[in-house]
Amino acid sequence: MHTLDVLLQQVVNGLALGMMYALLALGFTMVYGIIELINFAHFSVFMTGTFVGLMVLNLMGVTAVSASLQGPALVGTLIVLFLATMVATGVLGVLIERICLRPVRHVSGTAPMITTIGVAFILINIMLLTWGPQAQRFPQLLPNWRWGVGGAEISFKQIVLFVVGLLLMLALWHLVQRTTLGKAMRATAQDADAARMMGIDVDRVVVVTFFLGSALAGAGSLFFGLYYGFTGYYIGYTTGLRAFTSAVLGGIGSIPGAVLGGLLIGLTQSLGGQFLGVKWTDVIIFSILIIVMVLRPNGLLGTRTPQKA
Amino acid sequence: MRRNLLFGLIALTAVLVLASWPDGLIAQGKVVKIGLSLPLTGADADGADAILKGAQMAMNEINTKGGVAGYKLEAQVFDSATPAAGQYDPAQAATNYKKFVADSLTLAAVGPVMSGEGKAISPILSEADMATITPSSTNPDITDPKFQSQYRPKGKAVYFRTVTTDAYQGPNMANYLFHQQKMKSVYVLDDGGAFGVGIADSFQKRAGELGVKVLGRDRLDPKEADYKTILTKIKGLNPDALYYGGVMQAAAKLAPQGYEVMPRVIKAGSDGVYDLSWPKQSGKEAVEGWFCSQASPELVTSPKVEAWVTKFKKEMKRDPTNYAITSYNAVYVIADAIERTAPKKPLTRANLRDAIQETKLSSIQGPIAFDANGDILTKTVSIYQWRDGEIKYVAVAPEK
Repeated sequence: MHTLDVLLQQVVNGLALGMMYALLALGFTMVYGIIELINFAHFSVFMTGTFVGLMVLNLMGVTAVSASLQGPALVGTLIVLFLATMVATGVLGVLIERICLRPVRHVSGTAPMITTIGVAFILINIMLLTWGPQAQRFPQLLPNWRWGVGGAEISFKQIVLFVVGLLLMLALWHLVQRTTLGKAMRATAQDADAARMMGIDVDRVVVVTFFLGSALAGAGSLFFGLYYGFTGYYIGYTTGLRAFTSAVLGGIGSIPGAVLGGLLIGLTQSLGGQFLGVKWTDVIIFSILIIVMVLRPNGLLGTRTPQKA
Repeated sequence: MRRNLLFGLIALTAVLVLASWPDGLIAQGKVVKIGLSLPLTGADADGADAILKGAQMAMNEINTKGGVAGYKLEAQVFDSATPAAGQYDPAQAATNYKKFVADSLTLAAVGPVMSGEGKAISPILSEADMATITPSSTNPDITDPKFQSQYRPKGKAVYFRTVTTDAYQGPNMANYLFHQQKMKSVYVLDDGGAFGVGIADSFQKRAGELGVKVLGRDRLDPKEADYKTILTKIKGLNPDALYYGGVMQAAAKLAPQGYEVMPRVIKAGSDGVYDLSWPKQSGKEAVEGWFCSQASPELVTSPKVEAWVTKFKKEMKRDPTNYAITSYNAVYVIADAIERTAPKKPLTRANLRDAIQETKLSSIQGPIAFDANGDILTKTVSIYQWRDGEIKYVAVAPEK
């Protein structure tokens, strides 16, 4: 391979990776935007999503590792898989909010955040106990097509990841900016008390936010499974931390910021690995984060949030 | 006055307990406990399970025959993997060994499985004068006298092995790939663990000595899912071979992604990827052609061990590994030491350690004897290859 081809390949790899981070970052950013809580349970909701996807596939009779589904059967399976998994992780997010977070929402300090860390570990251990410790293989539904782009290769999986990811993000953008529900969400984000006085059901807005964020994590988890072909109880941590970093880098609370941050982190990871070595990945990522935070404390696309009373 | 009396009694009891503490290490009740700290969950669980069952089979055999020198053996099993690590955790291993040391009936241990654990627990053992016998951890630093102050501050060997070390395992694999597979250039990866870094270093050094071009060296984060970045970079360098020093957590992902990015490159690992669950974790086609090694002679397919293998499969309901056999033998080393110590001296950890140092045992893996540092005198490294979802013995690795 030529140097330029390698570079091009790394850009393709980085953008695909970034898309996955972006989908996860959206969940962090939405919850933070609404209730100013860093929801660490999001890592584990993502991880749980991969196992939910596995179960859904098993229920549909897809157990072979290289499934030979084609045409309408494949499309149908994918639609059921995404719908079922996203609803399941969405409901999981709502349950976490309802059972663990709402009772401590008005407690000031770090209690709610610590609660989310606790929930994360409970989910990790539940998956460990039910699925066992080893990597589980995830059925490879998508065909292994590849196309040459110059000297680099782009795979069908990467294209699907891109197209579906972008569609989900646009749908979210539309929901937040163009619907009444979105207006209520934005109002709650600005000032929950004022929103409540205007007749907005803040609790409902928070529930919807958790549902949407967790459903996106579910979609992200399916991309993870279909793209890498495996899952394990420990996958949430590294991917989740990078996604969280993406959200902060882009400006936590900002939806386009989360997407930009995700793509940037993905590219940083692949180009940094190419030029400096993958052992430096975390050093590079967090150095960039610190530099951006020092120069722009609200992140790349973040805006100064109005002071809350 | 009564209160003072009570106080006095408590103080007296405390003093007596403290004073008798070192002697408290003498085994009572005719049971000797053997500590087993293994990564029974996490990515390396399958290998650890085989090792545990090897030890259990030996203990069952000994106990069925009425024990050794009147003592029954009892296994004290702890998991050394944590969910946070997703694999072995040196800090957890240290906690486990401290529990062994705190139990006066535990006189010796079998393990650890991983060198990263070994580095954490060796000083604890040295402090307690307690021997452990590792059936699988191969990092040479732990027993190297150069690092004595770090790993055995009290001087005497406490870390014995029924396998040889990476001072042979890494270099001999380089010899094999150079002589038998015509390797001219190689890229070296490790997984950042004590074992992985050490064996990758020793492989890389030997490859350089042989005139093989080392195109680069990088480190995988075992928790990372995406290795496409580094594999794309390696593909751009066009190497003959890829060597991976490390254990299963990274390997489970390296194999499928390596197969996708560069299917035709020779790929080799160490005993860290001699794991029967690898095809299940990564896919049969992904592990096809991978070389791996064992720091022991090939045993499981040897006709001499056939009866043992049959018995193991029947009693333990799984396939054995070579390290199940080295683990089985580790228990016999301890039993043999108890047998030689009990009639002459009090059965303490220190006396048992001294007896283990003097071991001259003929076992199913051949003669077992240790040098002054605890390393086994027989230094055979075996080479294997994954073919059609099964691990096949290839050859004894050349020593030069």
